[in-house]
Order: sequence, then structure tokens, then C-alpha cells
Amino acid sequence: MRAGVLEELRAALGPAGVIADPTRLLAYECDGLALLRQKPAVVLLPRNTEECARAMRILHREKIPVVGRGAGTGLSGGATPVDGGALVGFARMRDVLEVNVADRYARVQAGVVNVDLTLAVEKHGLFYAPDPSSQAACTIGGNVGENSGGPHCFKHGATTRHILGLVIVRDDGSVLDLALPRPDPDGFDLVGLFVGSEGMFGLATEVTVRLVPTPPVTETFLAIFTDLDAACDAVSDSIAAHLEPSALEILDRLTIEAVEDSVFAAGYPREAEAVLLVEAEGTEVEVEATLAPMKAIALRRGAIDVRRARSAAERKKLWAGRKGAFGAMGRIAPDLYVADVVVPRTKLRELVAQSTRIARERRLKLANVFHAGDGNLHPNISYDRRDKDEVRRVLEASDEIMKVVVAAGGSLTGEHGVGLEKQEFMSLVFEERDLHAMCRVREAWDPAHLLNPGKLIPVHACREMRGTERPK
Amino acid sequence: MNPQELVDYTKSLDCIHCGLCLRTCPTYQLTGAESSSPRGRIYLMRAVAEGELAATAPEYREELDFCLACRHCESVCPAGVRFGELIESARSGVEKVQRRGFLARTARRIGFGTVLRSRAWLSLTATSMRLAQRTGAARLLGKLGRPLVEMSTVPPKSERAPLPATTPAVGPRRGEVAMLEGCAMRELFGRVNRATVEVLTGIGFETKVPQGHVCCGALHAHNGDLDGARELARDTIERFEATGNAPVIVNSAGCGAHMKAYAHLLKDDAAWRERGARFSARVKDFSEFVAAEMPADFAGTLGDELGTLTYDDPCHLCHGQQVRAQPRTVLERCGAKRVDLPDSEACCGSAGIYSMLRPDDSKAVFAKKAAAFRSSGAQTLVTANPGCHMQWESGLAREGVKARVLHVAEVLAAALRKARPR
Repeated sequence: MRAGVLEELRAALGPAGVIADPTRLLAYECDGLALLRQKPAVVLLPRNTEECARAMRILHREKIPVVGRGAGTGLSGGATPVDGGALVGFARMRDVLEVNVADRYARVQAGVVNVDLTLAVEKHGLFYAPDPSSQAACTIGGNVGENSGGPHCFKHGATTRHILGLVIVRDDGSVLDLALPRPDPDGFDLVGLFVGSEGMFGLATEVTVRLVPTPPVTETFLAIFTDLDAACDAVSDSIAAHLEPSALEILDRLTIEAVEDSVFAAGYPREAEAVLLVEAEGTEVEVEATLAPMKAIALRRGAIDVRRARSAAERKKLWAGRKGAFGAMGRIAPDLYVADVVVPRTKLRELVAQSTRIARERRLKLANVFHAGDGNLHPNISYDRRDKDEVRRVLEASDEIMKVVVAAGGSLTGEHGVGLEKQEFMSLVFEERDLHAMCRVREAWDPAHLLNPGKLIPVHACREMRGTERPK
Repeated sequence: MNPQELVDYTKSLDCIHCGLCLRTCPTYQLTGAESSSPRGRIYLMRAVAEGELAATAPEYREELDFCLACRHCESVCPAGVRFGELIESARSGVEKVQRRGFLARTARRIGFGTVLRSRAWLSLTATSMRLAQRTGAARLLGKLGRPLVEMSTVPPKSERAPLPATTPAVGPRRGEVAMLEGCAMRELFGRVNRATVEVLTGIGFETKVPQGHVCCGALHAHNGDLDGARELARDTIERFEATGNAPVIVNSAGCGAHMKAYAHLLKDDAAWRERGARFSARVKDFSEFVAAEMPADFAGTLGDELGTLTYDDPCHLCHGQQVRAQPRTVLERCGAKRVDLPDSEACCGSAGIYSMLRPDDSKAVFAKKAAAFRSSGAQTLVTANPGCHMQWESGLAREGVKARVLHVAEVLAAALRKARPR
């Protein structure tokens, strides 16, 4: 970084908005994907759109690459810094700017924590539906970047279905104001395009979100299985039966053990090989119409017990346990690799079994906890990053899992994004010309390749393109 | 020095970097910097152990000093990371390799090495603090005197008298307990100590106080003086062993949490570890004990003389000892009208001597608590820890909020007096 740039950034953001000492920078080396690490040159913490824009103008002039970061809970390396680059963090942008109860939307700064948004609106009988497992930490801006999911996205849809508007700071520091909630935008749907762009189109600084009315009745039950296959089959059956609960989750034995040992112990039975966590919402009649046949399917598939949560507190505990599962795996090994693939829901049993086999063949500990209703598998592999050979086997297993999933008609990512983790696998699902099309969209936003460079698009694809089709 | 001796390396590996701690961390809330979050601090500790970061880095010590050690992160950590133990060992490690400035070094030596080990010194300090406050000399000391100016006035000598070695039970004797008089507690909150004895004896427990005991060592452990803490722990264990096997009642959450963890503190010495574990099993927070032993004639006696109460969880009671329901239970059973305090498990910024070492950060953390108290509509704030007690008194006064601050024991003593007028 050129001399004087840091001072200029400090003047733009205030002294607490710029972190440049090597000790503190170390803490920003990685996000939730600890396998890949890179220290940034500087971390910037703007307090509002204006400060963010000022910083971006300076960075753009200096041709310094920029990576955005919400809470650093992402699992695909979307917020892994770039060598010599800046990290723009949103941890100081935590204001809820507007809650419009009648029109059922809210406008928030990008650093608002997902759960804080729901807490801010629940007194109006509203909630924000996408609920990633990390919702107690992750930010709305990060959710926009990754198009995050969560258990209740089975019914409500992932983040993109809930974003009505954005304020975007572009690569050169100009501000694109698309904040007005537009259910059907005039012209191109730039907001729709931006959601899931993994920080490569710009930095969202303000987000207008759809709020959903709190359902009159919510019921949760736990179906207990002595066999993981049977739990998968129950899910496939309920999808085929056109049932629409709001969430359909599976946790296997290893996950149950880790959760039950933690502060989030939820009362999952330790003797089970798998539990199916089902929630339905709506009127009493609607909930019954979903849960009664769900229960019948579970029992037909061999569930040994079906337990309904008897109180709101019990229901909350069941979900807190589910959402603490990733962290609880820290009890098993120092690191966890969370794979994120989507499979056809008719093939749940087969692909869960395949990933279990792939891990076992490599002597790896694998736990399954996943959004079964969406076919969104999370084979979780515990490892220790200090063991080089184990790291190699983890990467090999993840490769192999992705290959079998794609061969079975599945896709690379359900909700974590491509990031660094799955970049090279994009070629498994896309042909060169498709990747080129993506490159061209990206270049429309970021011609100089300064925004989260080296992520999502396989390295060779854009390099080729830059040689032949680079816009003048 | 082997860097792995400067932090608790094994414990640091429990952190899987999920980030669920971020939102609860008061210092992360202030700065938004990853390095001032639990996950970030653990990342730095691990980097020290693995040789990637020198423990001599000034920013490393600054981030460790900045932490309030409230342990809120432990209550939300799915991996069960023991952050309190991690921060204590990391601070102790830093003290070994970084020399503080002359003033800080001297103050630490006098504070931890002299004052907090001797009743005479504690008493003299309290007297001089009172004198400085009453004469206005504290104002003349400028920045150094600021904590004195801002805190409530130190009570007169008469209120700092020692508790008797034995106070008999009032009415039928149901048993006996030992009680921690505390270092600062006696000097600053003699009234709380007397209320504690009044309630314990009032519900039928003869109360013994080991004479000559000074300090449990919690402040030493929290501030990186683990050797000093071990010495005081052994002294504490010996003195309480001499009182028998009765429960040890503690009315200071920070001391209670620390005394319940003596086995860990003394883990390197098998014999002492064993004695520590036996001692810790006897330690009970005041409300933890009273909730289990409260007689029926207490019920519903308080009425509204204290107005509406709200209870603020001291961090080392809720996060450190998992004591959450009992204080609320005893307040309600004695008939107090209680409302919930929003975010009652968030730190008030007192954190032992933190409020004196880092007054600005401490006040910034308190700001949210004051807003929460206002929104609760209560007239009386109830706590169970001397540091929090002072922080609330001075904080509310500074914010211009008229309210009473009481310890749980004081509320119960008031109820008892109404139930059984003398």
C-alpha cells in the first residue's frame, strides 16, 4: 500500500474504523472456513454508506482489491481476504433504519445480525424468515452476499425471496440506491441479480427486507429413528406426498451426541441413530393437516417414537440445539469442514450413504445434519488442521462427495456459496460458455476485477476471457 | 520461553471458529473488531502458542486487557470453550513476557501484593479513600482520582466493623453455615454482609466467619496473577476447613465463581487439587442456598415498600455459576413486585477492578444497561455482587436516574424484618 493511503483511510473512517496492525489483522485471516487463510493488508469498518463509499473511492483509485465481511461465519471462504487487499467489515453498521409494519418491510444496515432483525420486529407480529443456523451471529449483508438459507427456507424460500431493495456501494465508490421496496422492479431486476453475488458485484450497505407475519400456530415434532436411511426415506415420502411443513431437518447420531453434551442440549434422544425435526405453521387446521400425515409417514418408515414439543420453550430448545450443531462439533475435533450440496430429494438415502462411505474409506469422522426437506446435505467432517495428511483426506473426500452429487443430478451449493472452496468445481456443472457468460456479468459490475477477486469463477475461465473479450 | 506455556493451548483448540459468541461480547459490540471478540482473542492465543504471533505484541496485551472476562461467551458456546480459564492463563502469560509501565507495575504490586492480602491495609485504604472523597482531595488528584470521585462514598469506619466469629441462629437452629466476609465487601458493603448474616441466622442457620481471612484471590486470577491467586486459594481453603464441613455462603458472585473453581486453579498439585475440589463443593451463592432453605413464613411479606424491583444477573453468577432462577425465586417468594430487566445477562461494565482500570470502556458498556433499566420501569435495581453494585450506583447517578440499588440479601432482610418484627 502506498504511503499516505492509510492516513487517508483513517481520515475517511475515523481512527477506530481502520485496523492495520499485524496482530489484530491476524484475527481476520479466515472466516468459518479455517482451512484457507490469508492475512489482509488492512481492515476497514465503516459506520454508514457514506463512509463505505469514501473508502471504496480510495481503494479503487489505488487498485486495492476488496473483500466484504459480515460476521465471518461463512463456510465457503467468501470472506477470506486477498493478499495485499482490504477487508471491509460491517460490524459497526448495526442499525435498524426503518420498520414499516403496515407494508411489512424493514430497512436495515448490512451489519445487522439476522436474529436481531427478528427480535426488532416480533412485537409487531412479524419475523424475518431466512434463519441460517448461524443466525445468532451472521449479518443480513452476509446473507445477501451468499443467498443464505436455513431450516425454515424450506417453506419460505432462501434469502433472495426476501430481499426487496438494496443500497450498493460499487467498485468505484459510487452509490447505487435501489432501496425502495419493489415487488416487481421496473427494468432489469438488479436486486435479484445482486443477491448471491458473493461480494463480486459491490458491497451492499443497506438492505430492505420482506417481513412475514408470525403464524397463529406453530408446532414442532421430533421423529426418532434407529436408522438414518429410514429417516431419509420418510423425508422423500413426505415430499412425494406434497406435504409442506415449514422445516424438515435430519440430525444423525454423532451430531445428537455433540449437541446433547453442549449448552444447547435439546433433549434429542441419545439412543437414536437419527432424528427428524419437523415444524409446521399456519392455522390449527393447516398445521394438523400437515403434521398428521407427516407422523403417519414417519411411523410407516419405522420411527420408534414421535414426540411433539409441548411448549414454546421446548420448541425453542429443539431449534437452539439444531442451530448450535456446527459449533458443538468443536467437542469432537478442533476443526470442522461443512460440505454443502443439494441432491434430488428422491435420492436422499443413497447420497447420504455415499458420503458416509466416502468419509469412512478415508478414516474420517463424518456427522450428518441437514436441511432434508430441501435435499440440502451437510456432510460435516471433523478434523485437525495441524494434521496435514488428514487435511488432504478431508479435501479428497469433499471432492469425491461433490462428484457423486453432481453425477446424481445434484448441485454444488445449497446455501454457503461457492467462494474459494468450490471454485474449481464450477467446471463440473457449467460449460466454458456458461462460465464466460458469468464473467461478462461480473465485468459489467467490476471491470477491474477488484471485488472479491479469485472467488467463485474458476481461475482459468476468466483469465481466458480477459485475453479475448476484455471490454475496451 | 516456550510459547505454549503462555496460553492454555489445549483449551484454545476447543474453539471451532463458529462465531456464535460475537453478539454477546461487550467489547466486540463496542469496536466491531474481530480481535476484541472471544473468537478473535482465542485465535490470537492460539497463534501465540503456535509461534505465529509474539506474546510481546502490545496489541495482544491490549486486547486481553480490554476483555471484561464476563464469560457471557461461555453461555452461548456450543463447543463448550472455557473462556474464563483461557483469558486468565493468557493474561498470566502476558505478565511473564511484557513489562508494564512504572506506575501500572507499582499499582499492581501494591494492590495485589499488599492491600488485597492484609486487612490492615484494606482498612487503611478504605479510610483514605473516604477521606479523599469527603475532603474533596479526590478531585484534586485529577485523572487518578476520577474513579474515587465517581464512586459512591466509602462508608464510615463504624460500618466497616468485622463480622462476629459466630452469630447464633434466631429461633430454632436448623444447622450451621460458614460465610465469606470478603476483602472489598467488608470495606464497601458492610451493610450487605450484615443483611446476609441477618437472613442466614434468621432462617435458622448459625453463621461462622473465619477471623483473619482476607481475600479469595479472584481479582488476582482475573488479572493475570495466578501465583498470587493460588497462594490465597490455599489460605482460604485452610481457614474454611477449620470451620468444619458446613456450606460456605458467598454473597459476591465474582468470589463465588472463583472459589467454585479452585480445583482447576490448583490442578498442578494433586493434594491441593483434591482439597480444592472438596472445598468448592461446599461453596454456595447466597441466593442458591436461601432458595433451597427459605421457610414458609417468609412468603409474601415484603409488600411494595421497595417499589418495583428488577434483577440484573451478575456475570459471574449466571455465566460463571449457572445461578439464574434462584435470586428471582427468593425475591418473588418474599413478595417483591419484580419485572424483568431486558438483557439482564449482559455485562454492566464493572468487571472487578476493570471499571477503575478502564473507566471509559466501562462506562460505554454500562450505557446499554442504563437504557434497559429505564425501559423496565423499576424503582429498585437488585444485584448480587459488590462490583456490579458500585457500578449501578455510580452509573445511575451519572445518568440522572433516581433509583435504589440493593443486594438480594438486603431485600430479603427487609422482608424478614416485616415478617418477624422484633
